[in-house]
Amino acid sequence: MSHSGAEHRAATPAWSVWAMQGVAFAFLGVMVVIPLLVILQDGLREGLMEFWRQLNLPAARHALQLTLWTSALVAVINAVMGLLIAYVLVRYQFTGKTLLNAMVDLPLAIPTLVTGVMLVVLYGPQQPLGAWLIERFGLKVIFAPPGIVIALLFVTLPFVVRAVQPVLKELDVVQENAAATLGARRWTIFRRVVLPALRLPALSGALLSFSRAVGEFGAIVIVAGNIPMFSQTAAVYVFGEVESENRLGASVVSLALVAISFGLMNLIEWVSRRAGKGRV
Amino acid sequence: MSIMLEGLTKRYAGLPVVNNLSLEIGAGEFFVLLGSSGSGKTTVLNMIAGLTSLDQGRILLHDRDVTRLSTQDRRVGFVFQNYGLFQYMNVAENIEFGLKIRKTPRKVRRARRDELLELVGLVGLGDRMPRQLSGGQQQRVALARALALKPDVLLLDEPLGALDAKIRIDLRRSLKRIHRELGVSAILVTHDQEEAFDLADRIGVMSFGRLIEVGTPEDLYQRPQTEFVASFLGTANLLLGQATPQGVQLGTQKFPLANQEDQSASDGRVQVLFRPEDVALAPEAEALGSPALSQGRVIETGFIGTAQRLRLETQPLPNVRPISPAPAYGNRNILIDVTRPPDQARQFPLEKGDSVWIGLRSVHALSHPGLSFLLVTDGSPRSRAGVALAGQIARHAHARMTVLACERKPHALDAYLEEARKELGSGLTALEVHRSQKPIEEAVRVEIESRPLDLIILAVKRRGDMDLAEELLNLGEHHLLFVPAEQPLPRHALICLKAGEPGKDDVLFAGRLLRHLGAEATLLCVLSETENPELDEQQANRFLEGGRESLSLLGVNSDTQLSEGPALDTLLTGIRNPEVDLVVMGAPLPRPGRPATLEGVVGQLLQKTQDKAFLIVRSHYLQKPYSRQ
Repeated sequence: MSHSGAEHRAATPAWSVWAMQGVAFAFLGVMVVIPLLVILQDGLREGLMEFWRQLNLPAARHALQLTLWTSALVAVINAVMGLLIAYVLVRYQFTGKTLLNAMVDLPLAIPTLVTGVMLVVLYGPQQPLGAWLIERFGLKVIFAPPGIVIALLFVTLPFVVRAVQPVLKELDVVQENAAATLGARRWTIFRRVVLPALRLPALSGALLSFSRAVGEFGAIVIVAGNIPMFSQTAAVYVFGEVESENRLGASVVSLALVAISFGLMNLIEWVSRRAGKGRV
Repeated sequence: MSIMLEGLTKRYAGLPVVNNLSLEIGAGEFFVLLGSSGSGKTTVLNMIAGLTSLDQGRILLHDRDVTRLSTQDRRVGFVFQNYGLFQYMNVAENIEFGLKIRKTPRKVRRARRDELLELVGLVGLGDRMPRQLSGGQQQRVALARALALKPDVLLLDEPLGALDAKIRIDLRRSLKRIHRELGVSAILVTHDQEEAFDLADRIGVMSFGRLIEVGTPEDLYQRPQTEFVASFLGTANLLLGQATPQGVQLGTQKFPLANQEDQSASDGRVQVLFRPEDVALAPEAEALGSPALSQGRVIETGFIGTAQRLRLETQPLPNVRPISPAPAYGNRNILIDVTRPPDQARQFPLEKGDSVWIGLRSVHALSHPGLSFLLVTDGSPRSRAGVALAGQIARHAHARMTVLACERKPHALDAYLEEARKELGSGLTALEVHRSQKPIEEAVRVEIESRPLDLIILAVKRRGDMDLAEELLNLGEHHLLFVPAEQPLPRHALICLKAGEPGKDDVLFAGRLLRHLGAEATLLCVLSETENPELDEQQANRFLEGGRESLSLLGVNSDTQLSEGPALDTLLTGIRNPEVDLVVMGAPLPRPGRPATLEGVVGQLLQKTQDKAFLIVRSHYLQKPYSRQ
């Protein structure tokens, strides 16, 4: 697209093109590239050995592992539930549909700190629901990994839904009707006809929610507390290290988070390119 | 019968999109449902396949009642306009899909798939993905896929609609051949006449949810029964003439009818059809070789490949009214469309402006007279509601409608009429707009003198004006419908019967209207000491039952209600039922020395029922109105 766009543009004086490109690059450089370079330099300033040691400190390692497995779990749950919600929103007519649709975006609008507070009020050990969960199932939610998962599910809810919804809308009902006339039951239709078209969008939505979950701080710091080796995620760990003036430890784990995000970004890009191709 | 549809009805938001449709299709028959878009034909197909639920009716496929079965269990093959191929499966997987679901062994599946690929002419393309195929090829795959399970019936929803002209004809030929080879009963839906004529054993013409006529292509083209079908299929010259025992009189000349035997010796007016190719042209009347209609003038010539097309104009003929082609506005001349084979065009060349004699080789009388409505408006808010309601009724009833605008300053009226014309324009058989500065009574009198009317729809501010209503009733034998300020399309009518009288006309005309609207009715009869002291309950019940029977013959569902008490109060209670949105009452016809009057119950009810539509049906049987209370 960028190609054809450039070809059809009216001629502009060369100097004004350079000026515009210069401003764009300078802005990106100041805002993105320089901070990234700085953290790269800062994290590696004591050498690779020290970098590795800091990364392998028990608290740091646990925080990273906790972050990765909770985020992965959240991505998987989102993939399934997001598909379901999107399907219900697109394929069925019911009262309150507009409301439900608007509610999907709500988590994006609510400050994540507020999300944390809401969950503490709901699941806190002194609250009826929280107390009941502990008493009945021995399940501690707040200040524990389940709280992290619930908080992450809340803030990443929209991603899969919004990735799948437009594709599903475009997907002709005719295919589903055709399958029905050929004797396919609802589940078969979903599995054989609808799902193949949604696989890539759902994957790209799940990866997006994974990458969002890895960086989440506000909700988790309230819900999970800051208990090293138990409920401390990587982001909260970085915050703690900054507070206790261990800048190196903060930079090292930050660098790890940047690397994860960067890898994910590329993966998402690749997946959506393939999804785009598949639909033509 | 391999497909039987009984009284299928489907409503969306109260409007019937399929209205009491019944149809039988024989084994191996290729049936085509023909209609313009929005006529409900695709909905019928979806109902047969179970993709759309029905509100009323029954569907039998090979004597198996499938009305309540799911799509999956109906064993229908369905071909969609936009192919609907599974995008993530290749051609072979698409075709085998149904077999695979039924766990057919792989070997059998493959054999069947190869057989089908050969049948639709796609051998060797099994590995292609749908997006690698052209539209025509995709539709062939869809056809193979639909046939894979050897369905009981094949349903085709505009299968050629999305294709280019040339590919369409190719695929049409294939479709014909495949149908012949397999002998499966098929219903094809299309808006393309040529396609329908080419493929169909029989055609059903649909309009606004109703099946208007069913017949072989030749029957429907040469011998249609309704004005709608006559003008919908091909080009039609339609005139309103005078029926005589020898045929039909058009101007001074009598023409024998091609269908004399089914012309039930009526002496009234009759609609006459002749096709452009049935018109003979000659320089002298004697050289026509067929009865002469009149002399005319060529006003348009054209060439359509296989024939020459001419439009002629003749002077008005006495007692003849042109219907189609519609006469030019403000011009009373009759227009006639003619086509001639090229050799005739060479032998007797004609140019624009030439004078020529017009003869008719064959004329056909329509057995259905068609209704004629007059909508009286004055541009008030009530008349706006009236336009909407009258338009709906006229569309569904295929009535010719005249809008008469009265009692307004010409300037305001023009803007209003423009709006009304826009709203009414689509789907009406014929629409004329007249305006008058005269009072309503006078203006309507002028209209009635020019032709008989079946129904006057009164949508004016002066609704409560009983003198006006009485005067209108005295102008002729038409029925009279009063429109309220706001009117949804009537769904439930209350037909108030005066027991002891046959009441046949009220029920029949109301039934005809209700059928067009897809509405239901309650028949209400009042047992009253003062009204009908001699009537007993048993008689009244028999009488109500008779009314219900007549309505059900017309396809209108109804229930009956017998109440006791003073007529006015009892009827008012019935009318105030919120479900009722149309009140029907009978009124006698005017007689010499005894003008129609609205004194008594009808008038009182009319005055007290300003918020609902009120239909006064004229009855030949009703000797006296409800007495004064």
